[in-house]
Amino acid sequence: MSNKNHPYHLVDASPWPILASLSALILMSGIIKWFHFYNHSLLMIGFTSMLLIMFQWWRDISREATLQGLHTYTVTMGMRWGMILFITSEVFFFISFFWSFFHNSLAPAIELGMNWPPKGIMTFNPIQIPLLNTLILLTSGITVTWAHHSLMENNYKQSTQGLMMTVILGLYFSLLQGYEYFESSFSISDAAYGSSFFVATGFHGIHVIIGTTFLAVCMARHMKNHFSQIHHFGFEAAAWYWHFVDVVWLFLYISIYWWGS
Amino acid sequence: MAPAQDKMPLTLEDLKTAPFDPRFPNQNQTRYCYQSYLDFHRCQRIRGEEYEPCNYFKRVFTSICPNEWVEKWDTQREEGTFPGNI
Amino acid sequence: MATWKSLLLQDSASPLMEQLSFFHDHTLLILVIITILVGQMMMGLFFNKYTHRYLLEGQLIELIWTILPAITLIFIALPSLRLIYILDETINPLISIKTIGHQWYWSYEYSDFKNIEFDSYLIPQTDMKNSSFRLLDVDNRMTIPYLSQVRMLISAADVIHSWTIPSLGVKVDATPGRLNQVSFTSNRTGLMFGQCSEICGANHSFMPIVVESISPKYFIKWISTMIEI
Repeated sequence: MSNKNHPYHLVDASPWPILASLSALILMSGIIKWFHFYNHSLLMIGFTSMLLIMFQWWRDISREATLQGLHTYTVTMGMRWGMILFITSEVFFFISFFWSFFHNSLAPAIELGMNWPPKGIMTFNPIQIPLLNTLILLTSGITVTWAHHSLMENNYKQSTQGLMMTVILGLYFSLLQGYEYFESSFSISDAAYGSSFFVATGFHGIHVIIGTTFLAVCMARHMKNHFSQIHHFGFEAAAWYWHFVDVVWLFLYISIYWWGS
Repeated sequence: MAPAQDKMPLTLEDLKTAPFDPRFPNQNQTRYCYQSYLDFHRCQRIRGEEYEPCNYFKRVFTSICPNEWVEKWDTQREEGTFPGNI
Repeated sequence: MATWKSLLLQDSASPLMEQLSFFHDHTLLILVIITILVGQMMMGLFFNKYTHRYLLEGQLIELIWTILPAITLIFIALPSLRLIYILDETINPLISIKTIGHQWYWSYEYSDFKNIEFDSYLIPQTDMKNSSFRLLDVDNRMTIPYLSQVRMLISAADVIHSWTIPSLGVKVDATPGRLNQVSFTSNRTGLMFGQCSEICGANHSFMPIVVESISPKYFIKWISTMIEI
């Protein structure tokens, strides 16, 4: 390792790509089995193996980055671009759900009686829990920035606090969304409204949970002193992702919860 | 549209149908049919069943709508499951 | 209908199909010109011995062979656009006829007077007369008055079908839950044949369409007898 004459990271042989692919296969088969036979045993196997592999793969990456020093400046630039492109692709993923929502709501089909929301759909009041959720996410955007600036100023204590608060706010958001789903009078199979509502907010919810996990991992790494004031791209990627989830929520709130009701 | 639907024998003057409606200038006429069905029943609700001008909408939607659709919507109205606002 | 040895479009029976035929000929002419031009240049390239080691670019020729095809395309696009808007035009029609595609037959509804409904099935080979057209004739034909504006409304009950009469220049998809409109007029009396043009299942090939174009006077008689049935 010490005698290499280039800044790139040539990765070592690793079992995780093939294992992750296999567990993705099991996960997908499990989802199909769940949808068709209402049996989630295979899904749980796929999910568990996927989580275990993700944990170990990213543990290896953080060892390469922190302990082996393989993430040079050039390597982090590659990862920055990778994260930017990944988030861009996620933006388009959500654009497709907004597209279907507006397709269905701007000129509702005659099967819906040309009404939006369709008859019989009791929509959520946008100024109750959804507004609170908007505030929670906006606040968490502030706390994650606070954590970032504290990290850049070498303030260990305050960046821990900022991260802790961001994670707690993320969990609180998920809790409230779960409560609201539980209270809902309509389901994913109730007309175009239910489908577009639960697919859009559901995928957003999954992204919040992923973002919260990402931030929690960063917090754990921070407490093990993995980050320095000039080298903490893992944290920055988590913050970018969190801001992206935040922006998606604002669009969801404005168009589906507020305008769409 | 024939003014008297039961008139027999028919003559060439009876060859009349729903006119071109500039609200629906496209190939897709689904909403011309549906809107006329709504308009007829709204008209009857407001002006009563005896009000003759309402029948204009009825003639339009019988000319335009597939009979199966009208039967389906009539059943839905009877069962109270019709999704439109009448 | 298509008869023996005919390879091109059928003879037109409506003004729209006439326009479509003209457009086809116009486009084909341009196509032939392009083919001859390109073919000539290809032959020239195959059979010459000229070489030029240092010929790396030619801005003028590139400019010409970019702009010239663009202009050619405009000459195809403008008549095409004109035609597509003419085809979409609905002049106030004299009658509306609804047709619903089913697996595997067409049903027709005439609801302007009294409600007339009938199904139109293929006449199987075993039942047909020696003089009729195999796999093309139906038991109940759709009858229209000639030289009158007809509004066809096309939908489907199960899967997507497509209602087609080539000699009238008409082809419209029949989609469940959607009502498509096309308007045409027939120039003359006679029979026009067509077939379902959207793969709709096992018997897709066995749900033909027959339009019987007759004088308005006889059309009224036909309608009156249909009402009595």
